[in-house]
Amino acid sequence: MSTNNHPDSCSGDHVDSLWLCLHFPELPVEVFSRQHTDTPLVVTSRQRVVFMNQCARNMGILVGSSMNTALTINNEVVSFERDEPRELETLQQLAQWAYQFTPCVSIRTPASLILDVSGCLKLFKGLNNLKTKIHAGLEQLGFRVSMGVNRTPLAALLFAESATPDNLEDTISSLAPVPIHYLRIDENIIDALHSMGISTCAQLFKLPGDGLNRRYGVFFTDYLARLTGEKPDPQKFISDKPRFRSDITFMSDVTNLESLVFPMKRLLGELQAFLTGRKLQISQFSFKLSHRSHSPRTFTVYLASPDNDQQMFLMLSQLQLEKINDMPEVDNLALAANHFFKAETDSGDLFHGTRFMQKDGRMHSKAEEARATHLINMMTARLGPQSCFGLTAANDHRPELAWKPVQVSSRRDKHEVDENTRPLFLLPEPKRLSSSRSSSKSVPSLSGRLELLQGPERIDFGWWDERPVSRDYYIARHASGALYWIFLNLKDDTWHLHGIFS
Amino acid sequence: MSELQNLMQSTGLWRASSIDGQYLESCPSGFEALDRELPGSGWPANGITELLHDHAGIGELRLLMPALAQLSHSQTRWILFVSPPYIPYAPALTQAGIDLARVLVCQPRNTKDYLWVMEKALSSQSCSAVIAWPTRILDKQVRRLQVAARSGNCWGVLFRRESAGVNASPAELRIRLRSHTHSKDHSALSLKVIKRYGRWESGDILLHFDDELHRPMPDFSELMLQPFQSRDFKATEHTLTPQPAPPATVIHEYQ
Repeated sequence: MSTNNHPDSCSGDHVDSLWLCLHFPELPVEVFSRQHTDTPLVVTSRQRVVFMNQCARNMGILVGSSMNTALTINNEVVSFERDEPRELETLQQLAQWAYQFTPCVSIRTPASLILDVSGCLKLFKGLNNLKTKIHAGLEQLGFRVSMGVNRTPLAALLFAESATPDNLEDTISSLAPVPIHYLRIDENIIDALHSMGISTCAQLFKLPGDGLNRRYGVFFTDYLARLTGEKPDPQKFISDKPRFRSDITFMSDVTNLESLVFPMKRLLGELQAFLTGRKLQISQFSFKLSHRSHSPRTFTVYLASPDNDQQMFLMLSQLQLEKINDMPEVDNLALAANHFFKAETDSGDLFHGTRFMQKDGRMHSKAEEARATHLINMMTARLGPQSCFGLTAANDHRPELAWKPVQVSSRRDKHEVDENTRPLFLLPEPKRLSSSRSSSKSVPSLSGRLELLQGPERIDFGWWDERPVSRDYYIARHASGALYWIFLNLKDDTWHLHGIFS
Repeated sequence: MSELQNLMQSTGLWRASSIDGQYLESCPSGFEALDRELPGSGWPANGITELLHDHAGIGELRLLMPALAQLSHSQTRWILFVSPPYIPYAPALTQAGIDLARVLVCQPRNTKDYLWVMEKALSSQSCSAVIAWPTRILDKQVRRLQVAARSGNCWGVLFRRESAGVNASPAELRIRLRSHTHSKDHSALSLKVIKRYGRWESGDILLHFDDELHRPMPDFSELMLQPFQSRDFKATEHTLTPQPAPPATVIHEYQ
């Protein structure tokens, strides 16, 4: 079995190469509605119906009829203007999805993907298994697909568009029965060929090549050569840089935000399938709620550590969703993820949930670690990413700089710690104390006299960052028995409360 | 009397004194005098403890430090501070032996979030201790927290005003803390257990901390500020007066 590992060097002329084309005949409709609904839906272009869903087709609406005609047939018809950029966007997303089967995926506008499957047949245990798998996957995503398999990319595309059953013999004989109007060539050439009495590829291939070249130009014969595999047909494959976008458009406006949970779950399911397929994890993702007459609303879910768990994603998204109260209606829900992490290969826990004593004397268990992350995720989702932090000591002799808040997941380095006694509570800002003078010495007081027990401990200097201090620290006892950490500012001879020996 | 006997035998009634403290899950407090008084010989490992005091700085947090240090080293679970009134000072926590990698501080903005965090953290099974300073908390809220602590196998600590001790509380352990200033060298704390499982409230217990916070140090600053009047100082001044140079004859010996 041959493999074409380098994406851009694969070519179609390899003897063993096998191409699978996924054609999405209803893509223009499916970008708006992927569920099987009972609402007739048409896609229009310049007030003419160009695509429609099955329900509309059953009602007798025809391609090419005007919007008025469609509304006469049924006044519940929902119409969307055709959105080609969005079709391309969806196609790109589908290409990302198809990347789980083979790294060689190329996009063929308007509505097809071409996959080089010669390298992955063994993995998926044969072509039929692979096709079944792709079919099931796409059905779950809500896309109708027609597949074509052949030895060249163009022939596979032709098979898919014309829905010809597989034929893995040589390309020319397999193409023989295909009508020529499926060929991707100029309409005029097809008309001309028709007028010559040629309607299938078999008849076309019998014509002399140089005659066709002279009559219809080099592009046409070049196309035929690539179609039959005489000439190589290099494909431009999608880059392996992952990105995820998916959205759901609602037929009718959603006014109750709680009912967004189901579509959310569906999008997150797609995200999880994408992550699993590519062995990736994410640390954040964003939902965008939009409506045609309101400004869109975006919220981002941050995770304590990269993860890939639909249930948790959904729970965190719900927490964020509950906080939104200024979005009266929603007609589109989109999910996007941009920053990806390689998933660490996680060998399963044989003794699930049991705990073992580790070298550092702690009892570790995978389940416990997962729960710890889960709690942080919940708290940051509900209270915001800044509301939850860890603590670390810092290398500075000034008390207010000797500690730092840190992100929960970050590693703590070892720091030198003062040997002098420090209070368990530090005031965010030193609090000025009143003082009285007795025998040429200032005595601090805080609603009652403070008795100095220990001190002074001089902490001085800090010229390097323009926050110099010059203080004498004392441990002081209040009449109530409370122990305080106070200092005398040597610059202006004032007393301040800085800590509490709680 | 026989009616009472019948009731005891035929129904599921039990007496508080029949609780065997030894079988309660607990975490040693690090103070022998306190351990003797606590059911299970230590802080409850899965329940709410209320510490009632009126003044900050009497040692209410230092009281917990030995237990927290032990929890931070024996478990991978979090020690969570919910809205502490001041900054838990990292160098001091390290001095107390706590592994900072296990410490988490959470600052919810309103009471609703506050209680939400408390309940989630207590019941999450991912915290070994949750410490909070609620300003106002209702009985039924404490009850919910107690249930959450049970299910999450977590030690919840609530610091409350001494006046809250008048009312009953669903917390399984309540201790009143008062300062004790008459001890030399070591600082001390006076405790009274006002609610515990299986026993009546205790008498006053005096705990001495293993520190030297109360030891008065010689005050050098006072020494420095004294005016130059003492006799000793004058004497030294005298000795410092320049002596006449040695006679020049010595030099001739080398010539």
